[in-house]
Amino acid sequence: MDVTMSYVTQDWWTWWFAIYLFFGGMGAAIMAVAFLTDMYLKRHPNLVIWGMISSIVMLSLGSGMLFLHLLDHIAVIHVLNPMVLLNKPDAWIAWGTQFITWMMVWGVLYPLPYLIESRFFLGFPLVGGILRWSIVKKVAAVCERYHKLLGWLATINGIGVAVYTGLLIQSFPAVPLWHNPGVPVLFTVSAFSTAIAFLLVMLNVFFYDSEDHKIHVFYERTDLILISAELVVIFSFFQYLQVGEESAASASFKLLFTDPGWLIGFIGFGLIVPFLLELKGVIKGWSTRIPIITASLLVMMGGYLLRHYFMYSGVYSHPW
Amino acid sequence: MTRYAMVIDLNTCVGCNACMAACAMENQTPVWKNQWRTWVHDKEIGTADDITRRFFPRLCNHCDNPPCMTVCPTGATYRMDSGIVMVDDARCMGCGACAMACPYKARYPITYDDIDKGEEFFGHDAWRKHPSVDKCDFCAHRVAKGEKPACVETCVGSARMFGDLDDPNDPITKLVKSSIARPLMSYMGTHPNVYYIDDLKRKG
Repeated sequence: MDVTMSYVTQDWWTWWFAIYLFFGGMGAAIMAVAFLTDMYLKRHPNLVIWGMISSIVMLSLGSGMLFLHLLDHIAVIHVLNPMVLLNKPDAWIAWGTQFITWMMVWGVLYPLPYLIESRFFLGFPLVGGILRWSIVKKVAAVCERYHKLLGWLATINGIGVAVYTGLLIQSFPAVPLWHNPGVPVLFTVSAFSTAIAFLLVMLNVFFYDSEDHKIHVFYERTDLILISAELVVIFSFFQYLQVGEESAASASFKLLFTDPGWLIGFIGFGLIVPFLLELKGVIKGWSTRIPIITASLLVMMGGYLLRHYFMYSGVYSHPW
Repeated sequence: MTRYAMVIDLNTCVGCNACMAACAMENQTPVWKNQWRTWVHDKEIGTADDITRRFFPRLCNHCDNPPCMTVCPTGATYRMDSGIVMVDDARCMGCGACAMACPYKARYPITYDDIDKGEEFFGHDAWRKHPSVDKCDFCAHRVAKGEKPACVETCVGSARMFGDLDDPNDPITKLVKSSIARPLMSYMGTHPNVYYIDDLKRKG
């Protein structure tokens, strides 16, 4: 039918949903990267334990944002029930909720053998007491036996969460900025880039050890590749969104690529500056840890800005 | 089989908004915050003395391929065999994914606060118990009794027609088959079941 179109943004899923996507993606990828590092690069109890704790805190904060904004908090029981995957396999929120829940379960079990030997946690009043229970020690022994299985279960669910954050907003067909295959790729790459940035901050600030040099080098190189991939995807969006004069895509283009927060904040300080800092680190090295810590903090800031601007720049075509 | 659909003639809609009032009373929509299951755009098209006033009734399009149903994680949004897309408010957790997915802006929130206000507004007749992301259901409770949706029943210009697209003798089937009545934003692939007869005076 011949109608006139208005191009409008939405006001339901705003900054709080960007926080959900940001903490969900980064938190999940932190656990996956930390566990893979421990399994295949270097045994690292500190990285695993604090990676797990940070991951669960972030996922709880992110999920808490979504939960707080539900209209009926009791009805959430329908998506917490694993049977939801049989009843609603086409809904990404159902998959995401299950990935998050099971990632937390496997994520707590994987570091249990490390936790029961950790002086720091054994010294904690309540936690230390629980870790000394004989049942916990027996469970830890089983976890030790199936160490890699648990690690992979947590990792697969973690990757699932990171990919889900992109697939979720890709599933809204009315918004060209979201409804395209670039979004899950972008959000997954960004989730792993921000996760590695977070782990680099932990390794450089909280438990620096010169014997972890191999991990530092691997993380910096991987992050450099991920930031490069992100820049390529962003350039693809720059091209893709310039469709016609009057379209939802071109309206999204105007919102994003004329906004200093997106151009300078995200692309400039969230991608290009950390890319250059890490490139110098990989090619020539830095004499201090400050540039890599700075780059990592900027990458994390960029990770939030990406999701924030994506939520606010999704444009619908409304007929009248 | 039955496949319910609505045809709206933009030439005969006079913009009286009686459909909105009838729907609001029938379905207890939160009128206090200006949210409706059906609404009428009132636009002036043209410039200076060459202006046409145009009324454009809107509602849920009851798509054959509803994106709101696909993204609903609890199964609260479902489709009946008759094609009517329904919301089970007891199952809806109100995440808003359906509202984000709908290209027709047909979904709106009913909160606990709205339920309380509804009890004041509608008195003993108030029936809402659960918050949900509500929308038009073609007055399924009336249709089940063989009646027409409230908006169709009350339309003074007979702009709204309701019928069964699987019945070849139904007047709306003829309008749709002849392409006189056409759906909105069919390129989205949603296969809507609300059709419009174009406004012949339209200049916008």
